[in-house]
Amino acid sequence: MSISQSATKRGVQLLFLTCLPIASIAFTACNSVPTPVIAEMAVSTSDVNNAAAVGGGTLAPDEMRSARERLKQANNAMAAHDYQAAADYANQAQAEAKLVQTKVSSVKAQQAAAALQEDIRVLREELYRVNNSK
Amino acid sequence: MKKITMTPAALLMIAILTACSTAPKTTSLLEVTRQQYLNVQNNPRIAQLAPSEMRQASDAMSLANQAAQNNESADEINKFALLAKTKIDTAEEAAKQKNAENNIANAGKQRDQMRLEQRTTEVDQQKNRADYAERSAQIAQSDTQRAQGDMQRAQGDTQKAQQKVVALSAELADLKAKNTDRGVVITLGDLLFGFNDARLKPEGIHELQKLADVLQTNQQQKILVEGYTDSTGGAAYNLQLSERRANAVSSALQLMGVQRSRIAIHGYGEEFPVAENTNSENRQLNRRVEIILSDANGNIINR
Repeated sequence: MSISQSATKRGVQLLFLTCLPIASIAFTACNSVPTPVIAEMAVSTSDVNNAAAVGGGTLAPDEMRSARERLKQANNAMAAHDYQAAADYANQAQAEAKLVQTKVSSVKAQQAAAALQEDIRVLREELYRVNNSK
Repeated sequence: MKKITMTPAALLMIAILTACSTAPKTTSLLEVTRQQYLNVQNNPRIAQLAPSEMRQASDAMSLANQAAQNNESADEINKFALLAKTKIDTAEEAAKQKNAENNIANAGKQRDQMRLEQRTTEVDQQKNRADYAERSAQIAQSDTQRAQGDMQRAQGDTQKAQQKVVALSAELADLKAKNTDRGVVITLGDLLFGFNDARLKPEGIHELQKLADVLQTNQQQKILVEGYTDSTGGAAYNLQLSERRANAVSSALQLMGVQRSRIAIHGYGEEFPVAENTNSENRQLNRRVEIILSDANGNIINR
């Protein structure tokens, strides 16, 4: 009884002794990827994808390439468990994705403005011609 | 003594430490970013057009400056500087976008303005055309009226002229006027004069009065009074008699109001007989005064 008791006790102790490091490692592993970094990565990935979707690859190719590079660096840092670096790269990737989106909107707006201005010029010429031919 | 030797060393140490601590740590990327930020700040349009992007750029710039001031590693400083630079780029790009969007909005206004101007122009042109048409119509109407007036006047003139012709014809018919190659010729026969005399009988005066009336209605018309005799008696005497008779007619007409300038006279004596001077009847025909009426312009064909 006592032997079995003590054996059980030892078994429990052994289990504790063996499980504790594993558990602690597992917990540490889980806890060591801070939630903000995960969020940062998700946002960055989404931002970079959105920037590509609105035409960043054609309208702001240099900035797009750079943003993708940052995201890749962030992912590499994540893989290397360098979460601080990952967060920093993700942050920079977000900023660059925002730049791409802004530049795409800007280029589109400038093209539209130029096209409108050209339309107005043509229209003005046409009206001038019509008004002075009567 | 001890204090004196220590003081320069301490001062030197302090100076070195101060130099180290005050010399701001920087990187070339931070310097480039600062310069760019300065340029952006000097352009008030950017803060105006992209205020939120500009605020984010300012915050990032402050963080980068903070990192430099905190003497952090060059990598750390560059991390913040790059972020700041990206956000400054974004602010610049956002300002460009906003400017372009303003231009687009403005283009819409410009187009509306042009449309308005065009409408005004078209209305003006239509009004001008309408005015022109109205004026043309008025002119045409007044032309028509004038033409109608002219026509009526012309008709009136024609009627008057016709009436005059009718009246004249009637009067001339009374005078037994004849249409000859030389125009209308009125012959006053021998019986209207006294025998061998130049004086007109009352019947002759009566006939001349009709002629005077005709002449009064046609002020342009002139007459040529020609006297003729038969071959009885001397030629010189006959010539004189023919002239006296023509003169008598002229005088009578002048007394009736016909201007002297409208009357020409000529005596032909025995010349141009209208019949052979073989019997008394024929001789009577040859003793005559012929009055030739000019055309409307006063022209008379002389013998």
